[in-house]
Amino acid sequence: MPNRVSTFLLPYGLLATMIFFSCDSGSGGGGTDNFDRQAMLRNYADNLIKPAYIQLQNQTNVLHSAVEVFLTNPDPQTLTAVRDAWVSAYTDWQYANAYNFGPAGESGLRKGLIEEIGTFPASTAKIGAAITAGAWNLEDFNRDARGFLAVEYIIFGQNQSIDGVVAALIANAARRDYLLALTENLRDRSNEVLTAWNGTYRNEFVQNDGTEAGSSTSQLYNEFVRSFETIKNFKLGLPLGKRPGQVQVEPQLVEAVYSGQSLTMLKNHLTAIENIWYGRSRSGQDGIGFREYLESVTGGNDLIASTEAQLAAVKAALNAVPVSPSLSEQITGDKTQLENLYTELQKMTRFFKSDMSSLLGIAITYSSGDGD
Amino acid sequence: MKNSTPRKFSLPWLDQPVSIAPLVTLRVIVGMMLLVSTLRFVALGWVDDHYVQPVFHFKYFGFDWVEPLPAAWLYALHGLLILSSVGVVLGLYYRLAAVVQFLVFTYTELIDLTYYLNHYYFVSIVCALLVLVPANRAWSLDALRRPGIYRTTTPRWTILIFQLQLGIVYFYAGIWKINYDWLIQALPLRIWIPANDQLPLIGPLFRQHWTPWLFSWAGMLYDVTIVGWLSWHRSRPWAYLTVIVFHTLTGLMFQIGVFPLVMIGATLVFFSEGWHERLWARASRGWRRFFTSLAFTKEEPVAVQTKPSTSRLLFILLALHFTFQLLFPWRYLLYPGNIFWTEEGYRFCWRVMLMEKAGTAAFFVKDAKTGREGDVVNSEFLNAHQEKQMAMQPDMILQFARFLKKHYEQRGVSDPSVRAEVYVTLNAQSSRLLIDPQLDLTQVRDGWAHKTWILKDR
Repeated sequence: MPNRVSTFLLPYGLLATMIFFSCDSGSGGGGTDNFDRQAMLRNYADNLIKPAYIQLQNQTNVLHSAVEVFLTNPDPQTLTAVRDAWVSAYTDWQYANAYNFGPAGESGLRKGLIEEIGTFPASTAKIGAAITAGAWNLEDFNRDARGFLAVEYIIFGQNQSIDGVVAALIANAARRDYLLALTENLRDRSNEVLTAWNGTYRNEFVQNDGTEAGSSTSQLYNEFVRSFETIKNFKLGLPLGKRPGQVQVEPQLVEAVYSGQSLTMLKNHLTAIENIWYGRSRSGQDGIGFREYLESVTGGNDLIASTEAQLAAVKAALNAVPVSPSLSEQITGDKTQLENLYTELQKMTRFFKSDMSSLLGIAITYSSGDGD
Repeated sequence: MKNSTPRKFSLPWLDQPVSIAPLVTLRVIVGMMLLVSTLRFVALGWVDDHYVQPVFHFKYFGFDWVEPLPAAWLYALHGLLILSSVGVVLGLYYRLAAVVQFLVFTYTELIDLTYYLNHYYFVSIVCALLVLVPANRAWSLDALRRPGIYRTTTPRWTILIFQLQLGIVYFYAGIWKINYDWLIQALPLRIWIPANDQLPLIGPLFRQHWTPWLFSWAGMLYDVTIVGWLSWHRSRPWAYLTVIVFHTLTGLMFQIGVFPLVMIGATLVFFSEGWHERLWARASRGWRRFFTSLAFTKEEPVAVQTKPSTSRLLFILLALHFTFQLLFPWRYLLYPGNIFWTEEGYRFCWRVMLMEKAGTAAFFVKDAKTGREGDVVNSEFLNAHQEKQMAMQPDMILQFARFLKKHYEQRGVSDPSVRAEVYVTLNAQSSRLLIDPQLDLTQVRDGWAHKTWILKDR
């Protein structure tokens, strides 16, 4: 009798046995197409994320020093140095703005790094009020009165000549103090995140190599998609008047409107997104990334083909956008190429957003349905 | 074996007294599971995330009148759910506790379709069935308070209904796995298993290319036959071992919360009366001091057996319930097309973890007067979970479109029409359009009829 029982239960027995046998046979066996997620995470950590934060920390340091120099000797020349430092720091930020997890993630009242230092558009009203009051709190929820774009507003001014901006700063001590506090805050925030990555977080990130919600792959993926969608929805869509209820274009809503650098920043941001897709460092060195991960899974090659075809279309559309005039001027003038770019980005969304997570089996929320 | 009398399927057979011990075990386990899962739900902050934060909730068809209560009430209700599940475990004011447990749990489930899970549906049904049975007649504080209700036996049907319900769940979960994708393509397990290859101990197994096929077939065979193995006393210990292995595995692989524990606990209802009696006898030795101090069972109470007097109405009710359980899952046959793609007749059928599906839905709202069309940013209105579920399920897409119409109407868009470009990927195939992207969704009514606006799969 027991024999017959075990025959009936063979499938289950087999299943259970496999679990115990697996430890021996697993590592060597042929025909496996296993993907080393740790190697991917290591590449992201060492060749993309950390270098991005190192660069950001360097440049925010340079920016803060330039502000200090300017304050001791405020003239158009030192202000130009500040502006240049801002442009290169903000360019570096485009390569670091997609990693808002771990030390750059939300914690308590503090939002992700992108909300804390990258909120746009800046609120000129709030900045004005802080300067008038001579008091500010860089920890509160007025994130549109601090960060890169608040600094930009103060150093580039709104339709002001460079002499006008210098004069305004000379005339108002609170304005100067606020500027200094803002760049110091930028520097400190970047420093904080970099310190954590230089410390234990890097290994924590690499070792958290599952695919469940909260795993490094899931966090990186979610932020990657969010960052990509930001370009379409906020950097382009909103100023183009794409939202329901908007009745006209709103060019003043572009990112970096006062410096006129919107287009450059948008291009850098898209390059950063492309780099994440390939697992490629900013200097162009290719490593193991989401693309390689997809190569190892069922249906992955088809998705790679569609994604890269669309990526090419996005880049073609981007290159067709004239370098000048500025983005905000193009939006009020001839926006054909921008509309086209927007459409191509829209077509890209599904490849990044749902197709990729589905093929890779990445959980995007903590509570998951069993019906899917 | 003791059953020398012929088992005739008749009401007297269903009313025959059997040991109450399995029912008591079930009562305690279900109550404990609800207690644990509710505590977990509250502790994870999900009351806020699921019910309070979202500005929009997806409704169950026919239950659009269910609204989320204000936050304070929701927390109070979860408190009440905790209390009632404690009442069920202890058998204290049992009927009241069981009714409250069922109503509150089911209410919270009905608030938002996003969070629909087959196992919540199962728990709801089991809670309802618990209301109908006298599970507090032994090993309960009620029996302590009112020794008159104490019984050592219970009518057979009171245990049978749980076995039957579980049997239906497993069996259907199994037969739905008998399809080309699951058995031949080993999909979606070919996607899910490699994603879990970092699990301790079993991770290396998950890297073998044949593992998805092994698990697909084993999973199907398990679901279809497990109730049989559990019912047969000779295979029962082995079968239960596989129950533990199977549910532990799925628990490790998928984010399905306490569900594996629910099943591991609930399947004990297939164990013999003797096993359950020994369980409680052992428990009794441990607790004897406590109970005797409370003057309970100082001397073994006489097993008072009244004539079973289960009402015909109850039988009819149960017969209706199980007829529904058996037939409702087949309604998909009445709809054309691939059920995985259309999801017409997909819910409430014990189709569990059957497919990997995801979508991206872009909604466009058009002002009838100006002709201006705008793109909706879904995350303005939906949390990640809601957006994910909505983007692949036609009825939810329709609900969201209706919501957008109302929302933008209030924001000054005149007579908005709403269309959606929805791309869905199913079991690792390239994503395709799910519905007609030109259709004004605000003109479509949801109903039982086939949704002709869903595009053909492949």
